[in-house]
Amino acid sequence: MAKKKDYKNDFLHQRFDATETDYDQRGYHLEVVLDVNQVRKFAQTAYDLGFYIVFVAGLHVRPNEGHDKGNSGLVVVYQFARYDQLYRIKARVSVPNTLEIPSISDIYQGADWHERETRDLYGVVFDGHPNMKPLLLSEEDPDFHPLLKEEKKLKSLDEISWPSEAPEVAKGEAEAETGR
Amino acid sequence: MLESEYQEQNRFFLNMGPQHPSTHGVLLIVLEMEGEYVLDPQPVLGFIHRMHEKMGESRPCQGFMPNTARMDYVCALPYNHGYVSLIERKAGIEVPKRAEYIRVITSELNRVASHLLWLGAYLLDLGAFTPILYGFDDREHILDILERITGSRLTYCYYRFGGVYKDVDDKFIEATRAFIKRMRKRYVIYEKLVTKNIIFIKRAENIGIVSPDMALRYGMTGPNLRGSGIAYDVRKNEPYSVYPEFDFEIPVGEQGDCLDRYMVRVQEIEQSLRIIEQALDRLPDGPVRSKVKKNIKLTPGDCNFAVEAARGELSYYLVGDGTSTPYRLKVRVPSYSNLSCLPELGRGILLPDLVSILGSFDLVIPEMDR
Repeated sequence: MAKKKDYKNDFLHQRFDATETDYDQRGYHLEVVLDVNQVRKFAQTAYDLGFYIVFVAGLHVRPNEGHDKGNSGLVVVYQFARYDQLYRIKARVSVPNTLEIPSISDIYQGADWHERETRDLYGVVFDGHPNMKPLLLSEEDPDFHPLLKEEKKLKSLDEISWPSEAPEVAKGEAEAETGR
Repeated sequence: MLESEYQEQNRFFLNMGPQHPSTHGVLLIVLEMEGEYVLDPQPVLGFIHRMHEKMGESRPCQGFMPNTARMDYVCALPYNHGYVSLIERKAGIEVPKRAEYIRVITSELNRVASHLLWLGAYLLDLGAFTPILYGFDDREHILDILERITGSRLTYCYYRFGGVYKDVDDKFIEATRAFIKRMRKRYVIYEKLVTKNIIFIKRAENIGIVSPDMALRYGMTGPNLRGSGIAYDVRKNEPYSVYPEFDFEIPVGEQGDCLDRYMVRVQEIEQSLRIIEQALDRLPDGPVRSKVKKNIKLTPGDCNFAVEAARGELSYYLVGDGTSTPYRLKVRVPSYSNLSCLPELGRGILLPDLVSILGSFDLVIPEMDR
């Protein structure tokens, strides 16, 4: 196995919001929070650094709260890893109200099916995808998205995040309150 | 007649599946053909989609255990393993050493069984009927061994959070050792029957070459990736359970054709046997299940756990919300990513070669459709 390299700085140099995480607890090394217009740049960076794509998945949270302000409540999670050493990256992007985020299926062709699956299950449309047809679910009912949760079961992104992130939010809110 | 018109007239669509024997289940591949050549193969998935992820999100985490075995029914124990390890990581549950050894032994036995089934089925795709009979004969021994301790022959639900359901006995150890001895003798037969068979080599060599860059773009893992010369195995690269304690090698191929993928799997059987042998030698005494609270609370936050299933990297990704029910459970299955390269790989090849490629990929459809 090649010698261990930490890829945090490679992503920080490209101005991504990357934070190191505790691998033993979470099972991945780096968490990246993306803006919608950073998605393609991020995928290209990961590809240039030699990461392979693990999966693309969706997540449904309560919209307009905390970190997720002004968004639809849908979050797309990407995971990348390496063949030559143990290094996993999780990236997440909040989907805007238009439900459209850029597709990365021309950079990572493997994302093609994952994106189609995410559209099936959550209704996120990947802009620029060549073939945005239902994959796992039936073509007759393209507006049925089984993984969308009921209103009362939804939780905000902060409620389902690791507690180490919570104090920052609390601090931010406290500052905002004192500012008023 | 214009040449383009002539070409148009000779193009046609062919549905391969969903009942085609070489798709190993209900997979449909819509082929755009010109004569014997495939221009564009497009897999159509979802015939046995059961929405396992939704089931995982609608009941307490213990309730998902039986589902794990129903995704990849050919090699179910690594799926058990990944899920229990995920919850153990999330909830901080300790596992007794003996239980981890038993998990490794049974998982590796299951892997051998899966590779034997694949060997038979692949050769059957290529028109050789005999190997599947030999393969099933050997596989039967493994199923008998596993049936005695797990209680089922195919869809195992043997692991529990914090250990395994039932301890193994001397009879199990004896039978496993006998199987290893028998399997090593059977290699010679497989070698003579298949590996050196000129007809088989002609159907597999230089067919369906997957380059390392292509593997990376599609996220291929498992023997399909190792055939391309990349020694990536989750058991070595991201060690889990007690795998770091064993001495085993990762077989790799050279150029990534069907023959390389075949050779990698055949060699992997021997490596699995080596792991089982070492684990049996060193099997520690002690309990096989630690005390775990009935109501497991999944703390807020996400967590990932990857294991090496027979077909590649299996990742469970869980988002907890403080209750015992996962808020989100994503299952990343290897065959899904492995097959997604087919439209690129299968462009411009002969139809019989496509059958060879599909067979060499070792697809399990319920795993892809989930």
